[in-house]
Amino acid sequence: MSKQLLTKVGMVVLLFVVVPAVLMAFDRGYFYQIATIAAVFVLLAASLHLVTGVAGLLHLGHAAFYGIGAYVAALLGSELEIGFTLGLPAAGLAAAFVAFLVALPTMRLISIYFAVATLAIGQMLYLIFLNWVSVTKGPNGVLLFSGIDFFGFDIESEIGIYYVVTAIMALSVVVLYRLTNSYYGNALRSLREDDQCAAAMGINVTVLKMQAFVISAFFAGLAGALWAYTTGYISPNDFNFSQSILVLAMVVVGGLGSLPGAVIGALLLILLPEVLRDVGDTRNIFVGLVMFGAILFLPKGLFGEVSALRFARRILGSGWSGSADNREVGWE
Amino acid sequence: MLDPYYLQQLTIGLSLGMIYALMAIGFTLIFGVLNVVNFAHGEIYTIGAFAGLLMIATFGPPLLAVLLVVMAVGALAGFGLERLAFKPFRRFSDEASMKSRAMREATLMSSLAMSIVARESLELIFGSQFQSVDLSYLINKQIQLGPVTIVNGDLIIFAVALVMFLGLQWLLKYSTIGLSIRAVSNNPLGARYCGINTDRTIILTFVIGSVMGALAGILVGLYYGAIYPSMGFTPGIKAFVAMVMGGLSSIPGAVISAMILGITESMATSVVSSVWADMVAYAFLLITLVFFPQGLFGARRERV
Repeated sequence: MSKQLLTKVGMVVLLFVVVPAVLMAFDRGYFYQIATIAAVFVLLAASLHLVTGVAGLLHLGHAAFYGIGAYVAALLGSELEIGFTLGLPAAGLAAAFVAFLVALPTMRLISIYFAVATLAIGQMLYLIFLNWVSVTKGPNGVLLFSGIDFFGFDIESEIGIYYVVTAIMALSVVVLYRLTNSYYGNALRSLREDDQCAAAMGINVTVLKMQAFVISAFFAGLAGALWAYTTGYISPNDFNFSQSILVLAMVVVGGLGSLPGAVIGALLLILLPEVLRDVGDTRNIFVGLVMFGAILFLPKGLFGEVSALRFARRILGSGWSGSADNREVGWE
Repeated sequence: MLDPYYLQQLTIGLSLGMIYALMAIGFTLIFGVLNVVNFAHGEIYTIGAFAGLLMIATFGPPLLAVLLVVMAVGALAGFGLERLAFKPFRRFSDEASMKSRAMREATLMSSLAMSIVARESLELIFGSQFQSVDLSYLINKQIQLGPVTIVNGDLIIFAVALVMFLGLQWLLKYSTIGLSIRAVSNNPLGARYCGINTDRTIILTFVIGSVMGALAGILVGLYYGAIYPSMGFTPGIKAFVAMVMGGLSSIPGAVISAMILGITESMATSVVSSVWADMVAYAFLLITLVFFPQGLFGARRERV
């Protein structure tokens, strides 16, 4: 028991004490920026993990839902003066609502057809961001000057922004983590493995896929709002196809179906290009090569699903092993 | 009689459709033999355009020679692509892993990764802006044809596309290569048991598809005078849409769908602003997927 507690406390300490301390020690705006961007992408990768990794739906338009969140938050903030406290849930709900509408016709498609449909939807939303100038300001993007007002506290310092972003990210990731390691998550995994078989076992495949898609879009929307508030400026190119691919690459590199993997993948693909910044403007080539190498040499990812499940069972401990007659649940 | 304006749009749409068709054939061929989508096809198109551009800038040969070189480069690119992004995932040739979804998705993502690497490398070398093309090579000299003005590019695209289609049909119907391609796309394992070299057939399919893709790239580059590293993305998606509309495995279906797509798109620009024209393709794709999941011309499939 104490080991489980230790891991949890260790993660909290790392996120809220060690990293801020390091950031404070260096005290450069650039580092704060990277830390918050990494947090946003961790959330984004975690949300894609739910739909692509666990439910097995190849989603090629995730960045568009992230974009909806960012645009809703930024436009509410800059045009209607609705601050962060309301803007954040509004962004998530807006993305989830659009995802729901999109899911209605497309959810019964499978494998590659679904991937293509999401690609088309992602591109359509991108075209709307780009060309609906009267609302989204088109290619010029939206400027957002207001700071984060968090339940009345006006947060302007960089470390404060880091804390808010990381707290929201950590909470969302915990929710996603509990979700994927529950019986609900197991149902999602079952329809990834064989949806016809899952349907035969009495699982409502379409509804479950739809829920996973909408929940994932909700968290992507939150990530979008965080992005809009931390960078203060958004433009359509932040949400184009290559961003969708970047997030997909994070999930694939980390290991499909593994949330720690998605987090590691996000950190790797955000932080390594920053470390390699001196090499020149090769960030995207690097993303492509890492993705290719990961598929070729590590088909299970850096932190594969099996190790992720084992890890989850150790952390969540009693919830898994504590069946009525005290038998171990799952495989070892 | 139709308004000349619409006839004008129709010719533009036709040549656009021809270009999409050239690309869609490559997609369809490759999908036919491997049952995976080649996401790097758009990059073959870009590579073709850039190869032509380099050729024009350094040697300045006649147009026909440029086209031939581009075809050779396209063939080479297709070969390389197959070796790098597709071959490693065919390690296991038993029936189970050939049908496995994980294998197919790994291949799909590796081609996606390759396309990123190719596009970004081109961007690194040439910069992301439009490249300047020697004006004397542009195929946009105007020809008056009754009430309609066409450019010689329309004729060239039409001629090249026609030659390619007919050549391909001949190849597939009457040659040994075509026979083996059709055999592999029908049943890869069965073809192998009959002594067909599936590996070679797959390479050949890639080469043929990529030659067409590269040719489409240089023709569009010279038609619009616009060559830039991310030029392959949109036509790639359009060709993909055409393939899905055509029913995934039918080449005539893909060609007809590509024509429909090209014409509707150019007609759409007379109703809405041209920036929204791309919407047409995506809308078509969704409508096809939702209402005609078998494609407009395809054979029945088990599940979509």
